[in-house]
Amino acid sequence: MNRALKKGASLLFAATMAVSVLSGCGNKGTEQGAGNDGVTTIEFWAAPNPTQQVYWEAVAKEFEKENPEIKVNVSAIKESPSSEASIQSAIAGKSAPTMSENINRGFAAQLAESKALVPLNELEGWDEIVSARHMTETVKGWTFADGNQYVLPIYSNPMLFGWRLDILKELGVNEPPKTYSEMLDVAKKLKEKYPEKYVWAKADLADPTAWKRWFDFFMLYDAASEGNNFIEGNNFVADDKAGINVLTFIDNLRKEDALLAKQVTDPFETGLGIFTDIGPWTFTYWAEKFPEMKYGETFTLAAPPVPDGMSTENVKTFADTKGLVIYASATDEQKKAAMEFMKWIYSDPKNDLEWLEKTSLPPARDDLATNEAFTTFFEKNPVLQPYAEAVPNAIPSIDNAKYNELQTYIGQHAVNPVVKGEVDPEKGWNEMKKAIEGDLK
Amino acid sequence: MRTTKSNGLGWLFASPYLIYAIIFFAIPLVWSLYLSATDWDLISPEINFEGISNYIKALQSPGVQAAFFVTFKFMAVFVPLVIVSSIIVAAIIHGLPKFKGIFLIGFFLPYLASGVVSSLIVKGLLSYNSPVNAFLRTKLGLDIDWLGSPFSALCVVAVIIAWKFTGYYALILTSGFESINSEIYEAAAIDGVSPWQRFWKITLPLLYPAIYTVLILSIGVTFGIFTEVYQLTGGGPNYATNTWQMEIFTQAFKNLQAGYASAVAIIASVVTFISIFVIRKLLEMWGKRNGWV
Repeated sequence: MNRALKKGASLLFAATMAVSVLSGCGNKGTEQGAGNDGVTTIEFWAAPNPTQQVYWEAVAKEFEKENPEIKVNVSAIKESPSSEASIQSAIAGKSAPTMSENINRGFAAQLAESKALVPLNELEGWDEIVSARHMTETVKGWTFADGNQYVLPIYSNPMLFGWRLDILKELGVNEPPKTYSEMLDVAKKLKEKYPEKYVWAKADLADPTAWKRWFDFFMLYDAASEGNNFIEGNNFVADDKAGINVLTFIDNLRKEDALLAKQVTDPFETGLGIFTDIGPWTFTYWAEKFPEMKYGETFTLAAPPVPDGMSTENVKTFADTKGLVIYASATDEQKKAAMEFMKWIYSDPKNDLEWLEKTSLPPARDDLATNEAFTTFFEKNPVLQPYAEAVPNAIPSIDNAKYNELQTYIGQHAVNPVVKGEVDPEKGWNEMKKAIEGDLK
Repeated sequence: MRTTKSNGLGWLFASPYLIYAIIFFAIPLVWSLYLSATDWDLISPEINFEGISNYIKALQSPGVQAAFFVTFKFMAVFVPLVIVSSIIVAAIIHGLPKFKGIFLIGFFLPYLASGVVSSLIVKGLLSYNSPVNAFLRTKLGLDIDWLGSPFSALCVVAVIIAWKFTGYYALILTSGFESINSEIYEAAAIDGVSPWQRFWKITLPLLYPAIYTVLILSIGVTFGIFTEVYQLTGGGPNYATNTWQMEIFTQAFKNLQAGYASAVAIIASVVTFISIFVIRKLLEMWGKRNGWV
């Protein structure tokens, strides 16, 4: 090979490598906005859950048929490393979608604080959506500290506690305990008859991960405080008495040896534990894996227990609720098109019914238990009826941008050490309060 | 003699790597240094310059302090475990009359296994109601909170990672064993050298380069532990398994504090660099003192 040829080959090789490397860095991005044909394309990111994705794809197609000037591209949010991080990366990389679902109130607060979200109440059509969907009361709980509405809640799932009815009956108890003392009484009876069983077997009780507090602490706190806020803006406003009551109750269960905070496989289903938090998503899983779990026979559902002397009617509980947001990076045409899409979906209860049928997650409507559109569904699925009835008592998560750190303190200083018997409830509560107030400054 | 032309050709050949290094190393490093001095969360239009406050906050943070100590605790459990097990595996494989390759592949497979999958399997095995724990409780009266107590949680993670890396390091050590001339052992046998002396006076010195490599690699691993901790313990209980990577992940992707997470990442890099440098020097001194290098 002569020298010139060698040099040429080297140049070609180096250029190819460089182009390959550089092309890997390019971001093709997504073509958004109004095209030359007058069609506005919106990118919609659905929850990384197959049933929700199927729902959104179906409604998007239906919508496009009636609204040919708007195209809705549905894709799932990437879960790696987490759906929140994927959204964050997309915003940072200027490739955020027009809108997405699966946004909880805490994450929405983080996004809103960073001005990444559009206040929906400032867009034309918001009031129309709220009234058409009968969700005036529901959205009140979603008002952010600055008075804006950044999220349209799609589902509001009041978390309920499941009880092993069959085991309760064996103990001579025919219905789930409603107060702390009734529950401690059940704990005593259980340990007497079945020393190897526990009332609450859940490894999460000893895990400080922030979101895990939604399904133990907040369920009990919302009930004990009658839905008193925990944090308002940058102020810790939690009801101290209710909080200490909750921790004391957990501590009393521990003293009865009724708590098991170790990694356990299917503790409720195997009967190792007789009490657990349950969301509607559990029933599809049970239908496949634990068909023996029958509502009204093997298990039943109840509101969280409350401190003695409190009313056991209309008990508040935590709402596992997520919704839709529109990103600030979208163009005006896209924002308008996104609102059109939302208006179209929520103007007809049949779309909410379809959502309910596909996902079993209760749509965030005030009239869910009374609207005739859903009556047949709940008659066929009585296990979901208690969720629909509890929607008005459901309290959404805190709307603070630091929710992750703040909720971690609840686990680290209060719930986890109390569960392990390392700290007394009052001290745990005060240490948690100190840590939270320190971070809120 | 070097000419300008040959230098140019050298640069040309090196250019793909240089471009790669600039794009994927230099730019992110500079970017990370910049981010670490801001309060940016990657999405906010406002970027406030914070100076060294993120570093001060990080050094005072219980999460970062835990990450520092946890790494060395992992090192104390993981490194001896993986070195001893990989030497044993390598020695056994070296002594096999045939099919060495097949056995090596068998031991190497865990290295290729997904950390997520192996962690989930271990989680199931260590579950309170798993057959293992049921046996320990009923037959031996042992009720161990494997992932709930600080020491056992750390040991569980260290054992999984040791299991994963044993085959890989055994591969390196086997090639070390293979490179030792058998005539040395024959001469030692004639001189009546005991097996223990043979190990200390012949095998260890001649295997030293391979052991050195494996030691440095395994120490490096302890600074990058993430998947197993994330899946099994989430850094708990009470930060007992909170590694550098776990802390960076929590701050960047859970708390969305990219600036602060960058400061933690820079501190982690400096600690990693210094630690490996010091350990490497100590190992070299050990080798030199014994006349192995």
